[in-house]
Amino acid sequence: MLATQTVSTMSFFFASLALLCWAAVALIGVGALVRRLADRPVPMLESLGSDVRRVALPLAWLIAAVTMLGSLYYSRIQHYIPCELCWYQRICIYPFAVILGIAAWRRDAGVRVYAVPVLAIGAVVAAYHTWVQAYPPADGTSFCTADAPCTLRYVWEFGFVSLPFMALSACCCMIVLLLIARPTPRSGPTVETP
Amino acid sequence: MSNQSSSKDPAQSRVAAAAGQNSSSSTRWVWIGIAAIVLVVGALAFVFTRSDGSGGGSATPDGGGTPGVTVVPAGKVEIGTISVTGTKLPEQSASGADPAVGQVIPTITGQTFDGSAMTIGPSGEPTIIMVVAHWCPHCQREVPFLESWLRTNGAPEGVRLVALATSNDSGKPNYPAGQWLLREKWTVPTMVDDRASDGAQALGVTGFPYFIVVDAQGRVIERTSGELTAAQWESLIAAAKSGTSQPAA
Repeated sequence: MLATQTVSTMSFFFASLALLCWAAVALIGVGALVRRLADRPVPMLESLGSDVRRVALPLAWLIAAVTMLGSLYYSRIQHYIPCELCWYQRICIYPFAVILGIAAWRRDAGVRVYAVPVLAIGAVVAAYHTWVQAYPPADGTSFCTADAPCTLRYVWEFGFVSLPFMALSACCCMIVLLLIARPTPRSGPTVETP
Repeated sequence: MSNQSSSKDPAQSRVAAAAGQNSSSSTRWVWIGIAAIVLVVGALAFVFTRSDGSGGGSATPDGGGTPGVTVVPAGKVEIGTISVTGTKLPEQSASGADPAVGQVIPTITGQTFDGSAMTIGPSGEPTIIMVVAHWCPHCQREVPFLESWLRTNGAPEGVRLVALATSNDSGKPNYPAGQWLLREKWTVPTMVDDRASDGAQALGVTGFPYFIVVDAQGRVIERTSGELTAAQWESLIAAAKSGTSQPAA
């Protein structure tokens, strides 16, 4: 009973974080749109945008790390068996729990050149997997395999949030954050000399 | 060109340091905000999933049934105890003829959800065995579909229907199977498979839902898996009655 309640709590928590990822993506998108359409710079928006750009890289790393830990929680602690599509998504996300950490430490926003294409592949796989779980195919392949079916909804929060939906949310949010990330100047007194 | 800590111009250093501090302090509120939101979400998750004693995605049985209609007994058996005698059926390959056709199915002895004894095996009458898993979305759609068909058309005459609830796992959704089938007002006698799914393995099940059509002597006529249309389901009944596999209309 306790284990069931714990996994319910964790699933609610992770599902809520996934929705927050989409909220962040939407806010960044709206902010960018307003900035583009505005006649002159809006001081508050510029300040806010500047702050968000500075935290974007470490925040993307944080999302990658939480996504990896959440994934490991379900497979190693709850013993949910990852299906083939789950593994493809893991391949696309797990490395960034380390790579984005290093990039954030080095303030290397150029990591987006390498990270965004891989995360985009992960997002496409996650989107397909989300679709398959939401609408299991009703054609000739409309059955669940006995070992690790891709259609199995281990998590189904709020009537639509599944594990691949969480992965999709994380990928999209990381992509957007990496695209807006700007390197932060180090706080130390470093001066460029000719 | 070199990058170095400058001690040449103390004023410039102070300006750079101040800029760094401003940058750090201006982003601090962003981090505090993110941490606050995550904490609130964590608290909400705890409150919402503990207060009602159930998870957001878990199902709650209605515990009832239509008066006058025999539904599968609720009972407490979530994982069954079964024994298998006879030769297990081979698994069906993705293509080619089913190697189990013509083979006599093994006899599986176990119990239904209320603990009463039940047997799946050669029974002296044509039988369709349905194998379902509580967590499989296809089974979750197929069970009410078949139940609706049975209520509309009645039980097929001369054909015995039995089911095996297998792959029972408390860590997977829609557990336990008995509560799920009770909610669906399932009328087909159903055996509960054991933890190792020995019953399903004895029938060579490779996917869910799974259907095995056998004749009166217990010989396999046809096996198929997946969600069935009404025509496909009726073709299985026709196969059971005729003793040969029938194409769906």
